[in-house]
Amino acid sequence: MGVDSASIPEVRHPAAERSSTAHSYNVRICHWINLVSCVYLLWSGVHIFLDFPELYWGHTGYRGYPAAFRLADWGLSWEEAGALGDRRWGRNYHFTAAWVFLINGLVYVVWNLYTTHFRNRMLPARDEWTVARVRTELLDHLRWRSRGHAPDGGYSTLQKTSYLILIFVFVPLMILTGIAQSPGFTAAMPALLDLFGGRQTARTLHTIGTVALVLFVVVHVLEIMAAGFFVKVRSMITGK
Amino acid sequence: MSNRISRRAWLTNVSALGGLLLTGCTRETFIPPRVRGGLIGAADVLTMSTNRLLLSGQQLAREYSRSDIADPFPTWNQTNPRNAEYQLHASEGFRNWRLPVSGLVARPRERSLADIRRLPARTQITAHVCEQGWSAIGEWTGVPLQRVLDEAGGVTPAARYVVIDTFDGWYEGYDLFEAAHAQTILAYGLNGRDLPRGNGAPLRLRVERQCGYKNLKFLKSIRVVDSMAGIGRGTGGINSDFGFHWFAGV
Repeated sequence: MGVDSASIPEVRHPAAERSSTAHSYNVRICHWINLVSCVYLLWSGVHIFLDFPELYWGHTGYRGYPAAFRLADWGLSWEEAGALGDRRWGRNYHFTAAWVFLINGLVYVVWNLYTTHFRNRMLPARDEWTVARVRTELLDHLRWRSRGHAPDGGYSTLQKTSYLILIFVFVPLMILTGIAQSPGFTAAMPALLDLFGGRQTARTLHTIGTVALVLFVVVHVLEIMAAGFFVKVRSMITGK
Repeated sequence: MSNRISRRAWLTNVSALGGLLLTGCTRETFIPPRVRGGLIGAADVLTMSTNRLLLSGQQLAREYSRSDIADPFPTWNQTNPRNAEYQLHASEGFRNWRLPVSGLVARPRERSLADIRRLPARTQITAHVCEQGWSAIGEWTGVPLQRVLDEAGGVTPAARYVVIDTFDGWYEGYDLFEAAHAQTILAYGLNGRDLPRGNGAPLRLRVERQCGYKNLKFLKSIRVVDSMAGIGRGTGGINSDFGFHWFAGV
């Protein structure tokens, strides 16, 4: 005891290290396309929101209707927000970026299902799901001791779990809450309205989801900084 | 230039595929009148063709119950066109207002509000979905646009778009797929009463599968055309002339 596990030097063959942590072409290309499309989605979404800076629950919501959230209550009046937001630019770029995001995401998911990347590297093994291990990882993260990977060089349990939830639960919910606001898509799939309990609820959840996604990215970047920003970014670019 | 040609060829192939899947549908069913350049244009085509494939059965938009209705119904944008002709009609209770149905129809004609009210009506409780983000549910009563076109002898084979002009200077094109939908109506009633001026009296269009800005108010005329070229800036309507999506299903 008394020996911090992080201080134990890892003795590994360089080739083995690379083969187990290197990002594939697919992961690297999709990651950066995803980043660009998400930046556009976020920025255009902010513009769309500023043009109508209130949120509601249910099927109905308009200016004067009881709101769940009003930007005016937080110091930015309707007129000030409207002057900042450009919904024409926002809508054009939001739906363009959404197609890039969707197609890129489908390529990523289908490719990595095919190559068993998800199963081999992202599905936590049974023995990874122990309370002790998760607690250790969590404490390491909180103490800024994350190395960005597990002792075996792969993703840690927390990484695996959060990435899988992000890809297979969170992102589909963002897409569904997005198209549940569309009069065209909801005419084709009215179940979307029932799923979320109304168009305005979908819009509100879409906005909450955006905030959650931004927080995820903040943590993601902090983790990378903790693990060595330069090395991690280089490995996502070059694969080494 | 070669880029442009190959994109056009690709779009033609896409619409040909659509035509195979949906007999009776034309290129206009899947592609906006003028496709914008770059990725935005590609996204426009993807959005419209995906929507139209999903809606190929002409499914109805969700109809709600009376308890969902917003009354009074919110008003937005123009609520009282300053146009002198409109003000005269309004002061006369729209008794002398006439709706011309012209262009590529067999028997062009004008109709009074009373004529329109005599046609078989449809009442629908639907959500008005503004592209800005608000939505409200109203009970709309009116005559299906297709019925009005049929009353004018139907459209000719060359017809591709129905163009609506309004007293507040708006103009929009709608492809025949949208015009033929059962819920595409010319509404003169809202929530059981005459359509209020703020909501588009005497007559407004309801296209329930598209955003609010395609649901024109204060109708002045209807014409059927073979192309949107030469109307406004030629992109298909006032909204797309100003850079908004022509197909407003999202």
